[in-house]
Amino acid sequence: MIVRSLQYRIVIVFVGLLLLVMAIVLALVTRTNGRIVFAEMERELSAGTQVFTRLIEQNQRQLETAATVLSADFAFREAIATQDRPTMRSVIRNHGLRIGAQAMMVISPDGQLIADTQSNSAELRLFPFPDLLLVAESAGKSTGFRQMKDGRLYQIVLVPILAPKRIAWVAMGFLVDDRWAQELSGMNGLAISVIRRSGTSVAVLASSLDGPKRSALPGALTRLSNDLSQAVPIGDEHYQTVQLPLGKELSVVLQRSIEQAEAPFRSLQMALWTIVLAGVVIFSIGSVMLARRIVSPVNELAAAARRIEAGNYIEPVPSLPPDEIGQLAMSFDRMREQVASREQKILKLAYEDTLTGLPNRTRFLEAFNQLPADCPCAIAVLNLDRFAMINNALGHPIGDRLLREVGLRLGLVMPGSVIVARLWADEFAFLLEGADQASAMSIAESVLVKLRDPITLDGQRLDVGGSIGIALYPGDGQDAPTLIRRAEFAMNAAKRRHVGVAFASGIGEETQHEHLSLIGEMREALARQEFLVYYQPKLDLASRKITGAEALIRWQHPEQGLVPPIGFIPFAEQTGFIREITPWLLETVAAQTAQWSEEGLSIVPSINLSTLDLLNTGLVDQMRGLIELHSLPANGLCLEITESALMEDPALALAHLGELAALGFKLSIDDYGTGQASLAYLKTLPVHELKIDQTFILSVADSPKNAAIVRSTIALCHALGLTVVAEGVETSADLAWLADNECDIAQGYGIARPMPADDLPDWIAAYSVPAFAT
Amino acid sequence: MIRSQAVSLAALLLLGGPVYAGSFEAYVATTAGKPVEDSVVVVEPVVKAVARHHSTATIEQRDRELVPYVTIVQTGAAIDFPNRDPFKHHLYSFSPAKRFEIKLYAGKPAQPVVFDKPGEVALGCNIHDWMEAYVLVVDSPYFAKTDGNGRAFITNIPPGHYRLRLWHPRQNSEPPLREIEIGAAPTQLNLAMDIAPRIAKQKPPVEADHY
Ligand SMILES: [Cu+2]
Repeated sequence: MIVRSLQYRIVIVFVGLLLLVMAIVLALVTRTNGRIVFAEMERELSAGTQVFTRLIEQNQRQLETAATVLSADFAFREAIATQDRPTMRSVIRNHGLRIGAQAMMVISPDGQLIADTQSNSAELRLFPFPDLLLVAESAGKSTGFRQMKDGRLYQIVLVPILAPKRIAWVAMGFLVDDRWAQELSGMNGLAISVIRRSGTSVAVLASSLDGPKRSALPGALTRLSNDLSQAVPIGDEHYQTVQLPLGKELSVVLQRSIEQAEAPFRSLQMALWTIVLAGVVIFSIGSVMLARRIVSPVNELAAAARRIEAGNYIEPVPSLPPDEIGQLAMSFDRMREQVASREQKILKLAYEDTLTGLPNRTRFLEAFNQLPADCPCAIAVLNLDRFAMINNALGHPIGDRLLREVGLRLGLVMPGSVIVARLWADEFAFLLEGADQASAMSIAESVLVKLRDPITLDGQRLDVGGSIGIALYPGDGQDAPTLIRRAEFAMNAAKRRHVGVAFASGIGEETQHEHLSLIGEMREALARQEFLVYYQPKLDLASRKITGAEALIRWQHPEQGLVPPIGFIPFAEQTGFIREITPWLLETVAAQTAQWSEEGLSIVPSINLSTLDLLNTGLVDQMRGLIELHSLPANGLCLEITESALMEDPALALAHLGELAALGFKLSIDDYGTGQASLAYLKTLPVHELKIDQTFILSVADSPKNAAIVRSTIALCHALGLTVVAEGVETSADLAWLADNECDIAQGYGIARPMPADDLPDWIAAYSVPAFAT
Repeated sequence: MIRSQAVSLAALLLLGGPVYAGSFEAYVATTAGKPVEDSVVVVEPVVKAVARHHSTATIEQRDRELVPYVTIVQTGAAIDFPNRDPFKHHLYSFSPAKRFEIKLYAGKPAQPVVFDKPGEVALGCNIHDWMEAYVLVVDSPYFAKTDGNGRAFITNIPPGHYRLRLWHPRQNSEPPLREIEIGAAPTQLNLAMDIAPRIAKQKPPVEADHY
């Protein structure tokens, strides 16, 4: 529509302008023509009138001369002198023929008509035009137009017959008829008519006009008897008219046809109109063609724009003639290329991890979704061990380079059909198309083997291990988020159990039915008091005394025996049942602590809070009620929180931590080093203690790498005013190393395994600190 | 010339007639009081007993004119028309009193023309339209024509009862006859006439001579 209207507009403007110019030219020409015609008519009419007057005078003179010559003819005079009327009559008839007069009369000096070609009557009568005689008597001759009794008009010339005295008059009448009028008309170019007006009636006596016009003339002249400045319409023409008196009641009417005068101008106008029409046609065709030439490239451009709008960047913009639109098309094409390349870049950014160049989470999810639904596959999630500690100890640049190196290795080790993505931080995911449990297992093991090779950065050897969780489609879930979550869950399990690879299906999270039965069992266990709390002592390395213990839950299952927390706590966290377990645990630990306090044993127990616990809005009130109930000081209890618990809703978690810290509770960060939290972030939290994950502590005395990480972590914690707890201390060498390196507190099998509450006082009494150097 | 002729005529009469005689003098003027030349004054005896005198007269053609303009003769007189021009003339008269024609001639015609009826005779030349002359033929021997002063003088008229007749070639109307008595003493009359002006007819100059 717009395109059409552009074309129309071009055509309309062009043709409209032409029409305007032509109209002005036509109007000017028409107006000028009208004026020229009018002036020309006036000129012709006045010139014609002059010519007519001249001709009449000349004619009169010629007639007079002829009459005079005739009257001087001796024989004629002699005949007239005879006074014999028959002779006279024959003589005048003869001489009338000679001179070409249609009427001849001989008049006696006293005015009697004595001979007449018009009648043979013998009786004498008076000459009918005594006025002519009167003039002739004084002027010698006279002339006039007179209508004779035959009704016809004559130009009468009256001359004397001298012998030598005037013996008679001879009157010669020359017929004034249509032929006369036509002859004169031929000479002056005007229509000539002689009319007689008597009263209001008009009679035409002679006219150069033909048939119908001649008969229309009287009527036309009667209507316009007074005003001859207007054109007189006769028949289908209009005549500009001049009237000259010719005698009593007689007039000559000289007329010029306006139509005839206009005829040459009409033909000019016709020619002009033809030019205008031809011009308009040619212009229309030309401007339509021009408009097409302008509009069709624009249309092509518009089509190209629509293609680009639809995302088709492949088809180039058509190349057009190198005019302005052609240049526009070229710019447009460049724009298309730019947009295409930018989109490529954006896609890359959207789908690619910029650090490693691997596909990102979005790309990974999309790749999963693109797999056919009936195609089995596996999703494996890899998390690097100790990455956070490396990052914190050696700095982000090293951490980034490590990730890049790991990404590179993963890319190398994987078959082409496997998609490797970096989900976030140090977590990678693999989409194993068509893999079953066995093939997934073998791929996962080959990954771990590859990772076991130390990575050297700036001459530093870094040992990077990892844990892998695998979820299988469709067995473990229908969609990618579920599969990833379950794979992560399995990965966490693998990490905790130090098994390297775990399957989501293998860690107790079974079908929904099994979930429900497990929840039911746990609820029964809580009611039957099958849950127990074990305490693992914490050794203060400076005072060499047991100052605390970590409270760890156990399930004394009637059939399965003692179930470790990994067997049911993750599941309780996932289902929310943890909200029922944690209050029981807190109550039990608080009561035990109050009892030990009465017995004189000063122990600060540590209790693990899950994500759900930390986000529970009733937590702070619950804790306040707990210490009031058991009359415990707030700093008599320590709460351990994992990094991941903080990440779920950092704002709410931080708010609760702030309130707990304000109440005076000791707060500890658990499993430090397994998550992503940096020390810089932890520093902003109101925590007092940091527990380094056992994976760093294992063989700290033997591994210089781990030793360096732990040493720098301790130094950093001390700088931040945090107490450092080392978990998983197994040997006395480790213990000695930790004591040497000013670690504050140690915990682990090397000191004691977790034990029932009842055993703890006796164990403390019997415990002697192993011999390690100080 | 005219006067001398009249005088000679009177002398003739004087010699042959009775000794006593009267005379008549007329003064002719227009109604406007202008003297009229060439008016003919004729004293006609009431009783016709006048002797015929077969007098002669001459009208010359000179310089393409007829001279004199007016001639009076008694009935029966013969008039000569000598041509004094070096070319021919063609004299004619269509007047009822004397109709004649002297076709192209030069010199003096062999026979004079006898005017045997009283009346006026207009003379013209067929080849020179402007040439004109008038002859009045009367039955009385007592006549005269006015001079340039409008005067005419007739002598030797026997006393008696007469009719006075006045005529002019261009008179507009014929003046009425009147009776007069001629006695021994001279009679004088002032007369009025209505005269048309002489129309000057076109006379071409004699160009042929120049070639
Ligand atoms: Cu002549």
